[in-house]
Amino acid sequence: MRPFHPQLILTALSKTLPYLWVTIAVMIATVVIGSLIGLLLTRANIRRRLIGRSIAQIYIYVTRCIPSIVLLFIVYYGLPELLLAFGININNASRAVFVITTFSILFSANMAEVFRSAYEAIDPGQREAALCAGLSEWQTFHRILLPQCTVIALPNFTNALVNLMKEGSLAYTIGLLDIMGKGQVMIGQNNGSFALETYLALAIVYWCMTLLIEKVFATLEKHLTRGQKILSDAP
Amino acid sequence: MLEINNVHKSFGKNQILKGVDLNVEKGDIIVILGPSGSGKTTLLRCINFLERAEEGTINFDEIHTSFKGASKQDISRIRKRTGFVFQNYNLFANKTALQNVTEGLIVGRKIPKDEAIRRGKQALDKVGLSDRYDYYPSQLSGGQQQRVGIARAIAAEPDVILFDEPTSALDPELVGEVLGVMKSLAKEGATMIVVTHEMGFAQDVANEVVFMDGGVIVEKGTPSELFSRPKDERTIQFLKRIIREDFDYSI
Repeated sequence: MRPFHPQLILTALSKTLPYLWVTIAVMIATVVIGSLIGLLLTRANIRRRLIGRSIAQIYIYVTRCIPSIVLLFIVYYGLPELLLAFGININNASRAVFVITTFSILFSANMAEVFRSAYEAIDPGQREAALCAGLSEWQTFHRILLPQCTVIALPNFTNALVNLMKEGSLAYTIGLLDIMGKGQVMIGQNNGSFALETYLALAIVYWCMTLLIEKVFATLEKHLTRGQKILSDAP
Repeated sequence: MLEINNVHKSFGKNQILKGVDLNVEKGDIIVILGPSGSGKTTLLRCINFLERAEEGTINFDEIHTSFKGASKQDISRIRKRTGFVFQNYNLFANKTALQNVTEGLIVGRKIPKDEAIRRGKQALDKVGLSDRYDYYPSQLSGGQQQRVGIARAIAAEPDVILFDEPTSALDPELVGEVLGVMKSLAKEGATMIVVTHEMGFAQDVANEVVFMDGGVIVEKGTPSELFSRPKDERTIQFLKRIIREDFDYSI
């Protein structure tokens, strides 16, 4: 084994960082799509119509039980086959499509649980009070319930986001050239040398990203709950 | 003004209301008494469709409908003419006291913001909370929260205000301030239907007391009739259990 060269960490950083945007872009797309599906699942769950609710619960159960790498490969090999049956050829599509699809499925199941627990944390009496005050169901939801749900869901959402980012590093296994993928390529080009330095560089990047996400969301949470903290001079 | 007939409501196999009639005229203060599980709260909740009764009709001024067949518009119109005060206050935790009151005016009733704020402040002044406009519910005591709840219910000047055990969740020393507000509302001529265990309030303020048990109205009358000369055995038993030495009517 070669001696450890700390300065190569910097080299690895400078070479992998340009690919960080791929990681971030894939993450953002996943969060948007996954959250939307998660909202639909939550809605189906809350409305208690038998069919919608059963579908949502089966979906959540099945996807939460699949390791992400297994689903990644199922989607990578299975999705083109499935779409081909409908006459759509995506064999030449970007790898990012498969990554986003996979992680949207996984993220949506997590989000469905996060949103549901947030919704259930709010006393149903507030909904009734809003209806009594003359608000419609929709007004009640987006004026009274949603702002409170958001605050409650935020810490779990942040956790899910950090997990998504870390699990997203598996995307290199199907050949996505994100920051992790670039690191793997570099190690390959060096014939397996300087692997430790490269992985340390990647660890630093993920560590900074996690820190950033947690800071941003902690600030957001503080902002959203302003004024609602129990003051010491309250009667 | 408000007339409900033959209300039936079940939860699963458990029949809660078995044909209840109630007639409310403008200015009436109707107090509903009864042991727990007798259907008092359910009756109140059926009136503004928080629960959907299976059977029965409601006539609210020019609105005539069955409970089962009521359209969304009917429900919305009835809700806008009624105020509801909850046992657990149910204030909007993300809104200040004033916003709690104005929300229904601005969003639900499309009243211009300035006018809504003026009326909201007026309602809060009336319940004695002029110095708590910008407090969040978590910063208020139980009694203050319930008074905000009352302000929210009266701000829209509803035709009838429904009170669902408004003092049951309060510490004993806070009950007085809420009852005081309710009494002054009654004096101003508000129409109220009150589910409560406060016998003193029923005796002082009500012009009709309704005793419910097992999902039906057992007996009704003026407070003096019902308290001093109850006819039905169930009423007598209930009053014996609930009335202590602080009550000076003889049974």
